[in-house]
Amino acid sequence: MKKLIFSFLMLALMAGGIFLLPSCKQNQAGKAPYKALIVTGQNNHEWKASTPILKQILENSGLFAVEVAQSPEGGKDMSNFKPVFTKYNLVVLDYNGDAWPAETQKNFESYVAGGGGVVVYHAADNAFREWKEYNKIIGLGGWGDRNESDGPYVRWRDGQIVRDTIAGRGGSHGRQHPFRVTTREPEHPIMKGLPANWLHSMDELYSELRGPAENLTVLATAWSDSAKGGTHQHEPILMTVGYGKGRIFHTVIGHAMGDSTQPAMECVGFIVTLQRGAEWAATGNVTQAVPYDFPQFNTESKWSLFRPLEFEEILANLKNYQPGDTRYNLQDLTNYIRNNNDGGEKYAKLETALLRYLQGTGTAASKNFILKELSIHGTDKALPVLKKLEKDEETKEMARFASERITLQYSN
Amino acid sequence: MSEPKKIDRRNFFGKMAVGAGAAITLPYIIPSSALGKDGAVAPSNRVVMGLIGSGSMGTGDMHEFMGKPDVQMVAACDVDKQHRESAKAAMDAKYGNSDARIYSDYREFLAQEKIDAVILALPDQWHGIIAVAAANAKLDIYGQKPLARTIWEGKKIIEAVEKNNVIWQTGSWQRSEAHFHRACELVINGRIGKVSFVEVGLPDGSPTYSAHPVQPVPEGLDWDMWLGPAPSAPYRGVCHWDWRWILDYSGGQLTDWAGHHIDIAHWGLGLDRTGPIEIDARGVYPRDGIFDVPVEYSIHAKYANGIEMHYANARQVPHGMGVCWYGDKGWIHVDRGERLFASDPKILEEKIGDNEIKLYRSLNHTQNLIDCIRSREETITPCQVAHRSISAALLGEISMLTGRKIKWNPDTQEIIDDPMASRLLRRPFRTPWKLEGN
Ligand SMILES: [Zn+2]
Repeated sequence: MKKLIFSFLMLALMAGGIFLLPSCKQNQAGKAPYKALIVTGQNNHEWKASTPILKQILENSGLFAVEVAQSPEGGKDMSNFKPVFTKYNLVVLDYNGDAWPAETQKNFESYVAGGGGVVVYHAADNAFREWKEYNKIIGLGGWGDRNESDGPYVRWRDGQIVRDTIAGRGGSHGRQHPFRVTTREPEHPIMKGLPANWLHSMDELYSELRGPAENLTVLATAWSDSAKGGTHQHEPILMTVGYGKGRIFHTVIGHAMGDSTQPAMECVGFIVTLQRGAEWAATGNVTQAVPYDFPQFNTESKWSLFRPLEFEEILANLKNYQPGDTRYNLQDLTNYIRNNNDGGEKYAKLETALLRYLQGTGTAASKNFILKELSIHGTDKALPVLKKLEKDEETKEMARFASERITLQYSN
Repeated sequence: MSEPKKIDRRNFFGKMAVGAGAAITLPYIIPSSALGKDGAVAPSNRVVMGLIGSGSMGTGDMHEFMGKPDVQMVAACDVDKQHRESAKAAMDAKYGNSDARIYSDYREFLAQEKIDAVILALPDQWHGIIAVAAANAKLDIYGQKPLARTIWEGKKIIEAVEKNNVIWQTGSWQRSEAHFHRACELVINGRIGKVSFVEVGLPDGSPTYSAHPVQPVPEGLDWDMWLGPAPSAPYRGVCHWDWRWILDYSGGQLTDWAGHHIDIAHWGLGLDRTGPIEIDARGVYPRDGIFDVPVEYSIHAKYANGIEMHYANARQVPHGMGVCWYGDKGWIHVDRGERLFASDPKILEEKIGDNEIKLYRSLNHTQNLIDCIRSREETITPCQVAHRSISAALLGEISMLTGRKIKWNPDTQEIIDDPMASRLLRRPFRTPWKLEGN
């Protein structure tokens, strides 16, 4: 599907005839008000997959111009790895590898203490067990032989957050699966307006993290299901940490895969909480709206391009639809129209695109689906095209359905 | 029993005499229990019934009515051969004969069967057309909820029922349960004070992610007739239950359950013959699979008297399934399971005085229909009330489908200032289907 979209965009751009140009905010990156730095280069994870995606997600917020600080490979000389953190409003940690030089560690500590923003992403909380201040910054960490000497577990029990000092390993996860994320701080700027519960797409559910947990607020938890190899506890998923004047957003989700699909990172819940958490860490506020297709209690939602699709991209995805296929692409179209129908100019553009589609090479089933959408939203402008489609055996019934709905008065 | 007005015309034996005609060639064989011995009801006093739609719901309804000594079940109609034959087998087993008649086309059923009453248990896209035809055939009707797939069809059913002076009962049986009745009487008599807010929890939708490839129509199923007025669609194995998750046939859990809990919410406030004035709804639709009804839904409805109601899938309301009325002196929550809950348990012990509002009382839902067929009185769940229960949900569906807040005039039953949303008050029927008289 991704290929299809890309090739469609390429074609359209070459033809020079694209309309409804992708208005993705990344086009305005030059005007982005804040600067972010992703620290990467070593990880037990696929950092070569995750770092470009994180960069794209942050840039798509329209808020960040993003640079990448890539460390030497593992085992190589680290002495010259000295990112200048203070040039940035935000430092995003996608790093789990060799120790940084002492000077870099000190610079990072003073950057955060002095009011810098930090995002701790997934396995970054596996890093640097021995670096005391780092662990205060991430709040909770896992693996690297962490245990009760590193700090308590932090869990949601009986309606509150509990710090549990019981002995045990730090860091585990069961089998990957989609899981439900539950908001625990609905009034926090990062969480405000998000559903109380939402279904995160297939991912590792980090459990048994332990650490100093000072100035730590758990924003959201997830039930770590023992049937999936989990801990039978509500484990922290999204957190904030205070360190000096610095603000830290810690997200444990978003495991990157080695192959082409990235369910955890495509999840709209991961993307949007990352964007909101990044803005909050950088500024203390969140100005971004929650998108209409945020996942819900029982409903996953993914952005295959790590951003919402443009209308033309959605239409391109419909072309091969046959009855009995999944409605995935159809629902994208329905949702787009429903949430962008202003009853005016904006809708008129959508209708023009729909009518053009109806006269193109898409399958009859996809056209019949669009005819049903037009029966709901369509205007008189659609009628001449519907007339034509009434002459086609494969589309005549739904064309009639649509034109009948558009023209007849039903209120009595 | 008081002298029934219509029963003579519909007398079982009378019909044998005048109505048998050429179509019925076999004589009726009346088992000994039909002769009025041993406390059995004499045939002349029985209500003779048939069934259109003998799937799982229709079969359950058939057994419910067939269990009554004063009902005789004589015919079934279904587009699925297996379903109609198993209905016949059940009737024949019950009466110890082989007389039950079966049909695949409701038009033939209505033309041939000179019965008193009919059970309608059909997928929603068929409700309007067949209910109007059955009323025009002068049959009293037990109609499964929801009343209709669209508000326009609901209005047409009411017109036909009133014009033909037939008795209608909707399958909103919760009204005949003592604890629902009790909850509504407490609320309507002010035991929780002035009510300002009501929460209605309906079942959560369950997304089905499995693929449903197009496949051959099963032997004995008339798929085109099953679709009826709904748009043509290839058979994808979705017919006998899962049709409820496709908008061409149903509005999902929301419209399935409006006739239960929204119906009760209205009843407790005396709002069951009117409707909201403003509806703002949001639905979440499945992104995988072939089903397109909302799996999560949340409808905020304002009524002219200032009351606000929130209809949503149960996870989105604090008390979960059921109805919770909030007044300035407390709240009452009712759901299935015979127990009421209240902010203060003492509320539930309150007596309703002689001079207070007494709601229609029925202790046995199906018996209430049989009683009303004889008395010609209105049932506990007439179509006019069922129409308002489902209208509230259908307006929510329109708001979800358009993505807009809807303004509604419950008196004229018109959407205000939104011609596009108004279109969704009705669905075009596939050729050649029409609602009789339209
Ligand atoms: Zn991982």
